[in-house]
Amino acid sequence: MPGLIVERLLPNYLANMLAQLPEGVVVITGTNGKTTTTKMVVELLRFNGKRVLTNPTGSNFTRGIISSLTRQARITGRLPFDIGVFELDEAYAKHFVAQVKPRFVLALNVMRDQLDRFGELDTAAKLIAQTLNEATEGIIINDDDARLVKYAKQSGKYTAYFGVSNKLRKHFPVDDEIVAVTKTTQKASTHQRIVELIDFSGQKVTFAISGHKHAVELKLTGQHNFQNAAAALALAYTLLPQVSSKYLVQQLASIDPAFGRGQKFTLKDGSQLELILVKNPAGFRQVLASYPVAQKPTMFAVNDNYADGRDTSWLWDVDFSALKGKSVPLTSGIRAADMALRLSYDNVKVKQVEPDLQAALKAFCNLRGDKLLITTYTAMLKFYKMLIKQAGKKL
Amino acid sequence: MKKIHILHLYPNEMNIYGDRGNLLALKFRLQQHGIEPVIHFHHAKQALPQKIDIVLGGGGQDSAQSDIQNDVLRVGNKLHRLAEAGVPMLMICGMYQLFCHRFVTQDNQEIKGIGIFNAETIASNMRMVGNLKVSSEFGILYGFENHSGRTFLAKDQSALGKVLRGNGNNGRDKTEGARTNNVFGAYLHGPMLPNNPNFADTLIALAAKNVFGEFKPTKLDDQLAELARAGASKRAY
Repeated sequence: MPGLIVERLLPNYLANMLAQLPEGVVVITGTNGKTTTTKMVVELLRFNGKRVLTNPTGSNFTRGIISSLTRQARITGRLPFDIGVFELDEAYAKHFVAQVKPRFVLALNVMRDQLDRFGELDTAAKLIAQTLNEATEGIIINDDDARLVKYAKQSGKYTAYFGVSNKLRKHFPVDDEIVAVTKTTQKASTHQRIVELIDFSGQKVTFAISGHKHAVELKLTGQHNFQNAAAALALAYTLLPQVSSKYLVQQLASIDPAFGRGQKFTLKDGSQLELILVKNPAGFRQVLASYPVAQKPTMFAVNDNYADGRDTSWLWDVDFSALKGKSVPLTSGIRAADMALRLSYDNVKVKQVEPDLQAALKAFCNLRGDKLLITTYTAMLKFYKMLIKQAGKKL
Repeated sequence: MKKIHILHLYPNEMNIYGDRGNLLALKFRLQQHGIEPVIHFHHAKQALPQKIDIVLGGGGQDSAQSDIQNDVLRVGNKLHRLAEAGVPMLMICGMYQLFCHRFVTQDNQEIKGIGIFNAETIASNMRMVGNLKVSSEFGILYGFENHSGRTFLAKDQSALGKVLRGNGNNGRDKTEGARTNNVFGAYLHGPMLPNNPNFADTLIALAAKNVFGEFKPTKLDDQLAELARAGASKRAY
């Protein structure tokens, strides 16, 4: 039964069904990193024997969760799960927590994103604050995001912090630091952190959990995902007090990238293509800092549909000067020309502007060597389908 | 090399909708025209630089707008004098509103502006968000608007252009932006200058004539901007 119908007919369905879960519900929200962090938390819980109910990627609103519940409930109406872990968009999180009180809320960051939808960053931030206020046991907060720390204090809830070490702080700018022209050195936090990202080199990542250091080689690429892993560890460590921190860190090693977030596809000629989602300036900057865009053929695809953000102005808050003097083989998507125009103002040449995604992908796949495809959301969905088809795999 | 001094107002606060691109566009195009851009950032409580040939300001959040408002009033007289001297300025969205007489908030509070434009802005609970298209003496202007304030121009205040698609100043009278002497106000993000290179070069020409007495433009390759504009013309509001 589609979620919409159930939501209309049985307004308490969601709350009643989820109330059965013996270990309750936790919610993950924030601007960037929700999908990958949720995937990590779910897998860590499953590795440790929990039966986890989660929402299918991309349907991070109540209706999607209801649809998935109706499919997974037994005929008796029982749910064969121990705990629910849900990724929720800032705006939908507020509606969800009005119906279902989460034990814990994990808030990752607040960044400028989809301003055509939210109007202002402060609006999105306030929605997150309202969600934090509904946690029954506690909240888990990015200690490096001053907005979130402020809201955590105001909430009066039990708060566990995660963060990155001072040494790494420069790699993870918060929203205000992204475009500010004066560099201010933030005061080092005095909070006790349950998890801290201490260091990374290539794919080797070191965390400190309650003061104990553990290193692991991750499959997940992108430095932003190392920070997301710290967030996931903080929540998993809180939910699994009996599991040692060392095991949790080791278990991260086998986790694959989430849908379209650094997924690798092998092309016919044996070369690899990495599909990388970008949604906003912070995420785009992290991607440029993490992947060798100046060394590998890279295609940038930008759509301006609702789910992408209809305003492409944000591309001008991304700094492409690392590519200065280089050339990019292709830009694509509805706003392929806007992307190429943006690059041209950082002295990056674009060889071909091909708005049609299929034609662009075909031309791109004909290039030699391993490639990077950096794309906004709705274009990513289409590329994903084409790449799966090309690889002869089922969706 | 000839120099043009650009003053960018409150870049740390008024920066949320990608208006930084206007500075990039001016910098890049000045270099192409054989002029060296010198960039000055103005922050609250600082003195304005001695030489100012072009002034830029962008959109910010409501909270940022109130943070810098006192400083705008503090330097208001100097900005008025520059405006009277014919210095070109481009104020987008939030800074445009602060260049009008006042902004009246939802709860009837008045935020004072410096009144270079004979206009005022009234808060509304409807946000005007979408692809904006405007006809002007500089050709068609494309951009993206995102504001809830409605700006109303006084009878003697000229607009920047006429709205062809979207809301512009207030969604009612089809005006977009304002012009007083060489000072321009607009709701066009996008950002405005890279997407409207003609207008960008107009600002540069005005500044160059003020400083050097003449402007000899270089022919720039604006094919990508033309392509982006053709795309923008097809997008729905």
